[in-house]
Amino acid sequence: MPELRPILLVEDSPRDLELTLAALEKCQLANDIVIARDGAEAVDYLFSTGQYAEREEGDPTVVLLDLKLPKVDGLEVLERVKQDPKLRHIPIVMLTSSREEQDLVRSYQLGVNAFVVKPVEFNEFFKAIQDLGVFWALLNEPPPGYRPQ
Amino acid sequence: MGGGSIIADITTPDLETCAREPIHIPGAIQPHGALFVLRASDMIVVQASINVTDYLGDDIVVGERPRGAVGGLLDSILQWHQTPEPTLQIPVAPYGLIVVAHRSGRSIIVEAEREEPQTASQTFTSLRSFVQTLAQQADHDASLQVTARFLRQLTGFDRTLVYQFDEDWNGQVVAEAGNGALPSYLDLRFPASDIPAQARALYATNPVRIIPNATYDAVPIIPVANPDTQTPLDLSFAQLRSVSPVHLEYMRNMGTAASMSVSIMIDGRLWGLVSCHSAAPHYVGIVTRDVCELIVQSLAMRIAAQQREVSSASRAQLGRITSRLLTLMSSGTKWPEELIDAGDDLQAQVGADGAAIITETGYFTVGECPREDEVRTIVRWLEEERSDADLVASHSLASELPPASAFAASASGVLAVRISELHPSWVIWFRPEVVRTVKWGGNPHKLVTEEGRIHPRNSFDAWREQVHQQAKPWTESELSAARDLRRAIVGIVLRRAEELAELTSELRRSNKELEAFSYSVSHDLRAPFRHIVGFAQLLRERETSLDAKSQHYLRNISESALAAGRLVDDLLNFSQLGRASIASKNVDMNKLVEEVIKSVMLSRPDRQVEWKIGRLPTAWGDATLLRQVWYNLIDNAVKYSRDREPAVISIDGSTADDVTVYSISDNGVGFDMAYVGKLFGVFQRLQRAEDFDGTGIGLALVRRIVERHNGTVKATGEEDKGATFTFALPTPEKKGRALA
Repeated sequence: MPELRPILLVEDSPRDLELTLAALEKCQLANDIVIARDGAEAVDYLFSTGQYAEREEGDPTVVLLDLKLPKVDGLEVLERVKQDPKLRHIPIVMLTSSREEQDLVRSYQLGVNAFVVKPVEFNEFFKAIQDLGVFWALLNEPPPGYRPQ
Repeated sequence: MGGGSIIADITTPDLETCAREPIHIPGAIQPHGALFVLRASDMIVVQASINVTDYLGDDIVVGERPRGAVGGLLDSILQWHQTPEPTLQIPVAPYGLIVVAHRSGRSIIVEAEREEPQTASQTFTSLRSFVQTLAQQADHDASLQVTARFLRQLTGFDRTLVYQFDEDWNGQVVAEAGNGALPSYLDLRFPASDIPAQARALYATNPVRIIPNATYDAVPIIPVANPDTQTPLDLSFAQLRSVSPVHLEYMRNMGTAASMSVSIMIDGRLWGLVSCHSAAPHYVGIVTRDVCELIVQSLAMRIAAQQREVSSASRAQLGRITSRLLTLMSSGTKWPEELIDAGDDLQAQVGADGAAIITETGYFTVGECPREDEVRTIVRWLEEERSDADLVASHSLASELPPASAFAASASGVLAVRISELHPSWVIWFRPEVVRTVKWGGNPHKLVTEEGRIHPRNSFDAWREQVHQQAKPWTESELSAARDLRRAIVGIVLRRAEELAELTSELRRSNKELEAFSYSVSHDLRAPFRHIVGFAQLLRERETSLDAKSQHYLRNISESALAAGRLVDDLLNFSQLGRASIASKNVDMNKLVEEVIKSVMLSRPDRQVEWKIGRLPTAWGDATLLRQVWYNLIDNAVKYSRDREPAVISIDGSTADDVTVYSISDNGVGFDMAYVGKLFGVFQRLQRAEDFDGTGIGLALVRRIVERHNGTVKATGEEDKGATFTFALPTPEKKGRALA
């Protein structure tokens, strides 16, 4: 059992944030949940820069990343993480309202680990978030050779 | 028959020989004058006719400068040589001669003929009286007649003919004056071969020729070749040029001993000849011949003016028709139909009895036309044999396109204008066959050769021939009217194409806007519905104390928002389909159907269905999209058969020639065939929403996907009995064509 690293939730919509947190709460995960409200904040956290320059070391166990974000959008965050040799092992799950094909294709090109279109039905949404949370926070093993710092 | 004509039969291979005869370098002259050649640089005589001493005594010796009276002319000749004047004409009073000089390369050809006794004032008087008479003539035929009569009086020939060429260079005698010594040739036609092309070319450059005696002995020029150039002397512009023996024979066969002809040139083209003959030898001097030339020039100007008058009148008339047609076409949207509707005007445009319009997609006719397959034969010929022409006119189509003799009655004359460079698109006018009787001056088809030598025919008695498969020729103003109409149509077609291109780009723009719109709908409209559903759910879980009514209200809120969210999803799905690229590959339809059934039944765990699934042919298409098709069809079948016990759903497939057909039948509520047309429309429902859920987009989606695969969908049903949906996709073998 790997040590409990936090889940990074990047979400600008307060309502989606509330619903996602409610869903995660139901999973009764012991992981901390770090919240970033835009892409720039997420990047600061992941790269330990700006307001997170002094944060405790360690990468999140999973990033739940909204696609459409102010300042730096989700695809760009994804791209920067996946191009960074130190960070690219972090699983990133793209959450989005979009069914637009180009978003999907682009996300996979950039190396997204999963892509979830937020279902309208709340039960489905809960289930999706719960599954993601459980899978990535509890079951997902870091790639071989990876040592948390 | 003309002054310098040669005869040959148009069917004999000797025609070639005759047409090649180099008549401009005969190396000899006629004996009614003498000729010598000066080297322009030093005025040395380089060549001379052997009779030169008969006319000029010892003045001319080859190899020396002219002496005596001729030597006295050298200054005048040199002076003239510096000017651009084509000829110099001066009298040599001591000898009673007139000499005429003209240039030939670096040489000057000088010809001498006897001076006539006529005075300048006599000549002037006759010329003035002619010009006055001509001016009084109201019409064309009278002008010709007056000229023929006047020239005969002036020259003293037995018979004077005005001879007009048609577009094939056959000639017809259109006016005549005579004293009865020679037979009348009025109205007779003479074949083009009577005056070969090179003779006509000489007529165009040298307007007056005379042969005073057809039995003359030619006078050689010595040396034969010019010592400077080593080439024979070019006598194209010489008055005394010796003519072809064949022509002399032709004259003798006609019973004429002397002839003179004057070219009628109109707008630079040889329109015809005035041709004079006598039964006995007859000479006309240089000055009189000059007067004849002036007279004929006056006639030519008169004819040209009359022609212009006629053609401008007919042009104006045709112009009015053109502008009427244009007004019609530009006001509407479909030019072929509008043109055909204006049938009378369209035919009158060029004076045709019928017209056909052939476009990429249409075929229209008005008036008397050949059958469609015959018109298409003409179009093929136009496309293959006249591929670089925008306008093709013929008044004897069968002579150019032999199969056209089958429909010569309606289409001996065709006038066709090309509308498009890209595909066969023509306006074609037709003229019917006009069977005419032509009186030839002797049988032009009769072979009159012996022992390889060309002989002209012996008889010039009128020889009647029926001419078939010919129509009235198209006039220049009719051709130009056709050109005008073509320009107008092409303009309209181009404008339409531009309008279409503009529309296309507008559509593309609005399509882009629509895409952007659906993208924002996808993000922005969907989220609030999701939030409503989510918070309603959270509220319900939290407030367990809510009474039944409040619970019900909350559930309604959830369900409505959910339905709205689904609707947005389905709509987006539908709109994306138009844009999504299709990734085609072989799809195992049995496997796909199996998976879909599993997934459909998962969401309806309470349903029992009896499945009858046949062997389904492999499909060529986009697996994800085809899955959607099956999902919607199977989901529908399950949904609408829920009240049946048992519900039976059959799925089958078969391959026809070039399509693979799949079908799904159920024994459910079915539908009334009266509404089958609405079945595949967006938001069309044939069942009440409270009876069966759904957004009304499912079947529209099915049709859209199938059509994106170049396939077709079909539905049959009966109320309360069940429904069958079939869709057909192009078979994999034909995918290249069908999915291109």
